[in-house]
Amino acid sequence: MKRIDKYFPILPVLVAYGALLGYGLFFPGKWQLVSQLAFYCTLGQAFNLFMGMTGYVDFGYVAFMGVGTYGMAISIYHLSDKGLGLGIILIGLVLAAVFSTLLSLAVGAVALRLRGAYFAIATIGVNEGFRYLIEGARIWNGSEGMIFTRHMKKALGKPAAMAIGTFWADIMMFGIAILAAVLTLIYMRNKVGYALTALREDEDAAKVMGINVTKYKIIAFITSAALAGMLGATAWALKLQYVYPEDVFEIHYTVEAIIIVLLGGAGTLLGPIVGGLIYGLTKYYLAITLPGFQLLIFAPIIVAIIVLFPEGTIGILKKRVAGTPLQKFII
Amino acid sequence: MPLLKCENVTKRFGGLVAVDDMSFTIDHGEMMAIVGPNGAGKTTMFNLINGVFPADEGTIHFEDVDVTNFPAFKRAHLGMGRTFQIPRPFASASVQENIAIGAMFGAAGSEISVDEAMEMADHYIDIIGLASHRDKPAGGLTPIEKKLVEIARALAMKPKLLLMDEAMAGMNPKDIDEMVVFIKHIRETEGIAIVAMVEHIMRAVAGLAERVIVMHQGALLVDEPTKEALSDPRVIEVYLGKPAEEFDA
Amino acid sequence: MLFEQLSGNLVQGLVLGAVYGMATMGLSLIFGVLQVVNVGHGAFIMVGAFTALMMFKAMGVPPVFAIPVAFLIGMTLGMLFYYGAVKPLVSPSGSGIKKLTPRRTGMAAGMFIGLIVLMWISSGFFNLNIAIYLFVAIIFIYGFALYIYGGRRQEKAAELATLLVTFSFGVILEEIVKQMFTSEARGYNWDIGKLDIGITVLPYTKLLAAFGSFAIAIILYMWFNKTRAGMAMRSVVEDDVGARVCGVNVDWQYALSFSLGIGLTVTSGVLLTMFIPVGINPYMGGSYTLKAFVIAVLGGLASPYGAFFGGVVFGLVENGSYTLFANIKGLEPFAMTRFFSFVMLLVILLLRPTGLLKAK
Repeated sequence: MKRIDKYFPILPVLVAYGALLGYGLFFPGKWQLVSQLAFYCTLGQAFNLFMGMTGYVDFGYVAFMGVGTYGMAISIYHLSDKGLGLGIILIGLVLAAVFSTLLSLAVGAVALRLRGAYFAIATIGVNEGFRYLIEGARIWNGSEGMIFTRHMKKALGKPAAMAIGTFWADIMMFGIAILAAVLTLIYMRNKVGYALTALREDEDAAKVMGINVTKYKIIAFITSAALAGMLGATAWALKLQYVYPEDVFEIHYTVEAIIIVLLGGAGTLLGPIVGGLIYGLTKYYLAITLPGFQLLIFAPIIVAIIVLFPEGTIGILKKRVAGTPLQKFII
Repeated sequence: MPLLKCENVTKRFGGLVAVDDMSFTIDHGEMMAIVGPNGAGKTTMFNLINGVFPADEGTIHFEDVDVTNFPAFKRAHLGMGRTFQIPRPFASASVQENIAIGAMFGAAGSEISVDEAMEMADHYIDIIGLASHRDKPAGGLTPIEKKLVEIARALAMKPKLLLMDEAMAGMNPKDIDEMVVFIKHIRETEGIAIVAMVEHIMRAVAGLAERVIVMHQGALLVDEPTKEALSDPRVIEVYLGKPAEEFDA
Repeated sequence: MLFEQLSGNLVQGLVLGAVYGMATMGLSLIFGVLQVVNVGHGAFIMVGAFTALMMFKAMGVPPVFAIPVAFLIGMTLGMLFYYGAVKPLVSPSGSGIKKLTPRRTGMAAGMFIGLIVLMWISSGFFNLNIAIYLFVAIIFIYGFALYIYGGRRQEKAAELATLLVTFSFGVILEEIVKQMFTSEARGYNWDIGKLDIGITVLPYTKLLAAFGSFAIAIILYMWFNKTRAGMAMRSVVEDDVGARVCGVNVDWQYALSFSLGIGLTVTSGVLLTMFIPVGINPYMGGSYTLKAFVIAVLGGLASPYGAFFGGVVFGLVENGSYTLFANIKGLEPFAMTRFFSFVMLLVILLLRPTGLLKAK
């Protein structure tokens, strides 16, 4: 029995996502909000896998989402007339994961050798750098971007194309969210997770304890990047059905990811979900009352969290439930 | 074969020679101490053996394997364990998790699972007597408790060579005597091959070490059995204020 | 023809490089003394740019006079940010949690109401809307919470913390400026003639900007090496424990260094607009942050003089590469130059993370 209860914490995750999905299905008018919330939760979980668990900040994170978007875009754009039907979606997803993995390997090869601050500096230009590469060398249509609504309709038929853009892409997002959560839990319960905790707390002591810190940083980095790629592929490529370099490499998505992870509790399993919900809901309601102000409100909140409550919401909750049966579920 | 062989090991920091042409061996099961005045280069020597940073010159062999260019984690896998003078536990992890991490990534790490590591950790927690603190975050312990966790974590790595850096620092004489007993006990029951300390608390050195290496200004001064070393006039001149018989063995 | 174009651009690059270098000195100073990387660097440059813009547009004052104003603004922001969020992370007081007494709460509430009234009265000058009031409320609550809970932390926070905090400073500045001035790009025109040297034309404003940068760098050098205050700061870089023992108030040095660094950065924004007086908008800082980092690692992250040198090198390389890219068909030179700066950063970090120069 001992083996099984290690994985209990997945239950609150499933409950949360199930409730969110159910809400959206019962109240179709709210589907857009639900989709936004799912996006933020997924973003948070994917980002948490690296920043939360290693303590390193990748300021260029959105680049992985961007290349993932392109992966899907390319698949649809170029394979729409090969008669593969829904296969182009699957290929797109795979391509998205491959692209973001490759980019993470390239960035990681340089950046992951560096410590803390130097790592942050190295990553700060990745998203911009890649965007300018695409525009500068006119890769993938350069700054003109790619519009593939037409291609989707051609490959899948108009009703299917619309259904994917407005519904099935979001369902896929839920899938990625759960995948991210499952991976996080698996890492946390296995040697990987302990290695990451050790290197986050004290990298030099970790090395002396026999931990190959570079290996584990790479594992976390690639996983986080691949998930980001898939998120970009579904939330952006499939829903919007176009891609422009200046949109998909925008640093403010990295800012949002940071806010979400810190709000909920970096390095925890449930943290990103809580953070995503709080941030998503607040942003949604702010957008109605005070559009364009959410960063102004959230930026000082981040400072407050870092200085006063670095453990985040779930971090504080964990301390409260320590010693009670609930501690098996809240991590 | 010797457990550890250092030959002509040298380390410079800018213009300062911290470790100067050190050569010595350590055999399996030996209990020895490296001593010397502050700034003699003892902790640097430890860091070089351990792989915290690389030597500028010389070679280091561990059981005949040339580890001179091995990173710290590889040396740990071969069987080196280490405690730090100021304990460095993983603050947010529990006591049990800290020790388990030692087990998981140490010399025998690749063969044990996470659950087995946790059980091993419980065993060591009992040895150091902190069972009541098992699930507490290590960051909240008292300095002495952190020290014990540090030692237990290193032991869990099942090292053949345990480098203890000033484990007795900051302790009163009674605690030191207890620690000496504890270390002797570990050495026997755990079958730990060796405990090499970097101490300048003579009480502990005299009680534990069979052999003493005295460093002075980065270089080797003497390398002799304890009694001889502590009464060697060169050592007394450079380091001790009074003859060593004053310290009970 | 290419040679002329190249050498002309290189001269421009040299002049621009001096300004770039000056813009990066603050970054290096802060890292050297506090080991804090100011990730929000570009936003402070933007504040300086807006200072110059507003003083010119609203009061007809040439940017040269905006320099001291910008410096003061920078020092003030630096002090606010340091005591507000950097100090608790870098040099915590660890004095425990204060009691939440009715007196304390009452005084805080009173101050808050006073501040709100003040804002309402002055709302004639800028666009103040609900969001700004909300923002001020959050800052106030944070400040109070910091006062009560600030002593909780015993040890320095993780590196991650200061990175995120300085990053947030940048975001805060961008958003406030956006609220006050909207995000449209503005510029101004201060034409005092130009210098024609054959291969290229240099407006006097650019020359003035470069001259100003050199002057500030020299003043800084003298201050560090000749004045007691400057040497006290240097001692903290060398060894902060040793400095404490010698009677240096390290904590105050931290505050001073941080503020000085920010002051320099904001000032550089003014000089930058003398060079490029257009495209001034709240988000202009982003591209300068990246450039500043490339320059800083070029010159050695902890050395302000290295930063200056790195700036000049960067200016040359940037303009040189632009010329080259412009002559290759199928490439967009502007975008490619920016991609190239990023590649430079990675290459330097890979090969010589401590910078191309030795020591300080």
